[in-house]
Amino acid sequence: MKLSLPKPTFWTIVLAFIWILGIYAVFTRFYYGLGAATNLSDQFPWGIWIGFDILVGVGLAAGGFVVAATVYIFNLKTYKPIARSTILTAFLGYLLVIGALMIDLGKPYNVWHPLIMWNHHSVMFEVGWCVMLYTTVLFLEFLPVLFERFRLERPLRIIRSITVPLVIVGVLLSTLHQSSLGTLYVIVPDKLHPLWYSGLLPLYFFISAIAAGLAMVIFESYLSARAFGKELEFSLLAQLSRIIVLVLGLYLMVRVQDMSSRGALQYVFDGSQESLYFLLEVGLGVLLPIILFLTPKIRNNTAGLFLGAVFTLLGFVMHRLNVAITGMTRSAGVEYVPTWMELAVTASIVAAGIVIFRYAAKYLPIFSQEEAFGVHPPPLVSAGKSGRLAMGLLGVLLLAILIGLGFGWMQEKPVDLHLRIESAVAQPASTLELPLPIVYEMGEASPGAVTFSHENHIDPSAPQCKTCHSGIFKMRPLKAGALGSVQMDLLYEKKQCGICHNGDDAFNVEDNCEVCHVAIDE
Amino acid sequence: MTKSAILTDLTQCIGCEACALACKEINELPKDTPLHLLTASTWSAVEHRNGVNIRRQCMHCEEPACVSACPVAALEKTASGAVIYDAGKCMGCRYCMVACPFAVPKYEWDKSIPTIQKCILCYETALSRGAEPACTSACPTGATIFGERDALIREAQNRIAAHPDAYVNHIYGLREAGGTSVLYLSAVPFAELGFPANIMEDAYPKLTWKVLSKIPNIVSTGGVLLLGIWWIINRRIKLQDDHPSSV
Repeated sequence: MKLSLPKPTFWTIVLAFIWILGIYAVFTRFYYGLGAATNLSDQFPWGIWIGFDILVGVGLAAGGFVVAATVYIFNLKTYKPIARSTILTAFLGYLLVIGALMIDLGKPYNVWHPLIMWNHHSVMFEVGWCVMLYTTVLFLEFLPVLFERFRLERPLRIIRSITVPLVIVGVLLSTLHQSSLGTLYVIVPDKLHPLWYSGLLPLYFFISAIAAGLAMVIFESYLSARAFGKELEFSLLAQLSRIIVLVLGLYLMVRVQDMSSRGALQYVFDGSQESLYFLLEVGLGVLLPIILFLTPKIRNNTAGLFLGAVFTLLGFVMHRLNVAITGMTRSAGVEYVPTWMELAVTASIVAAGIVIFRYAAKYLPIFSQEEAFGVHPPPLVSAGKSGRLAMGLLGVLLLAILIGLGFGWMQEKPVDLHLRIESAVAQPASTLELPLPIVYEMGEASPGAVTFSHENHIDPSAPQCKTCHSGIFKMRPLKAGALGSVQMDLLYEKKQCGICHNGDDAFNVEDNCEVCHVAIDE
Repeated sequence: MTKSAILTDLTQCIGCEACALACKEINELPKDTPLHLLTASTWSAVEHRNGVNIRRQCMHCEEPACVSACPVAALEKTASGAVIYDAGKCMGCRYCMVACPFAVPKYEWDKSIPTIQKCILCYETALSRGAEPACTSACPTGATIFGERDALIREAQNRIAAHPDAYVNHIYGLREAGGTSVLYLSAVPFAELGFPANIMEDAYPKLTWKVLSKIPNIVSTGGVLLLGIWWIINRRIKLQDDHPSSV
């Protein structure tokens, strides 16, 4: 078979470029470790891969459960035409989130451990379980599309008969883990800046996910309508915008109320970096979309709706990034800025999502289910050259992970990360202060005063304090205690100094009086 | 097993770093890394700040945030008092690092397959055999000592009572984060020594548990509610379809 590349249009080139960078970054992460690919550190263990790929990714998929509940539980069948594309978005979203997690996790092959190793006190445990279960639910919700595509009547009937319980389980799971992503941060009251920390974080994550999920429906419908020349369900989307206004209004009200009760309003205008980011988030991402959606001129045309949705999404993204990064910076004591490799991986994941969605929309009955594809469904084999390119790149990615992991694990690599850590926390090395020479009080029979010098007895670069202290000689705690006495009788019995000064380890005390006793009169 | 603990009296520390070296020795950690900073290869450090030598290690909280955070129970608070780690269970999510109020767990950022690194109170090498940890047994001045938690608290109280001028009247770790197994005495206020100043006095896991414990209620109430809504709406539509005239 002759291998031929797809026509190099602008977008295929951009896409290929992003993916090549992304694949290189993934290889670096698995070969050299997280420290080589990212700017993560002990001070800042979670970066943009968690902040964007996970927190934002899961939130943007929230349209799936909101629309599913609207159509199947509240029985508002008018929304049915958009149900499939939102469920597909959600399903893709979760698959990509799981894919992103594999790159961020230290031991991705242990990702299944929460199945058998339980800790029900852990928020992360709950998030893990919910994501696993909900991805399964989304897959089942998506199955009818596949069954229709391949005209499998019986399985289609079976799966349709369990739609309602499936949707109810999906709504419950989504409610739990959308909010749980916020609960993750409830345990860091003194690390997360008060502009964002609150015991109500789970509620904020849940409400804002609903707004973002709905905005995503508008966003996507607009883009797919343009891309595929399909009719936009305008009246439906306009109604969604009204719901978004309600949700955002509630969100804003609860947040301001809660901030005032926690005394956090004082930080809003204090001119700090945090206050700036907070004002941008709330101003551009909450207030502006409310205003846009409430202005009839804007609300009544598709471009206006799209604009409002874009700002709603922007506000959502900023909230998650502010919680994960901006709000955590001050307490961490280091400024975290993602490396180009972190950005490349994130961009690759977003690009993958767009590409897969496009293919699905093209070859599966997603947008209009009544007249799925008429008599002749488009042949799947015509996925085309770009399809093969995409599969090829996916193969390269898997290979990069395997090679990186395989070789990276086997080989020792001297990556000088400690230097970076050291310079981050510059500090003088230990300076061991030796005690001043100790002048012992002379006994009656003493032939001369004895002065003990630590300098003569130890190597300052490797002080073996333990050899003498506190077993043989007590130290003087608190600089207050009395100095213990040294007695020649004991020395002769191989005690005190005599333990080492025995003729073998050091000179013998018995016939070397003048070495220690300095004669006064002579 | 008695609940073991460590009391570190910063006024008696001469900064010799014998504890840090002994720790590396017994845990077979790389020796070429600095001793003043907790890292993946330094589980016990001695920081020098404002003329004070400050021993740093895992605080071994009574109710550790890391243990509650770990999704796979790779971290465990043993009856002996030590918070230990099982690398075989760990999946590398690093939530323990985020959750720890003392920023103790460290990571192997330069490894393909990294693990969490932190002091485990010499649980395997000493504690479980009835011996004391390498660090305290290495201390030449007795600045850091090993013992039973209640006894060490009494000892610390006695020292403060005996030399009220020499100490700030504060046993760090007595109540911090709900109490820790590693306790400190100091002549200088702890906030000036880089100890987390606004640490809670209550245990951190309680914060998330307050939310998590509501889940069964949310699931049962939510499930019934959704099912009820669906049933009511569906029935009304059905009735409408069957008897369109009567509505």
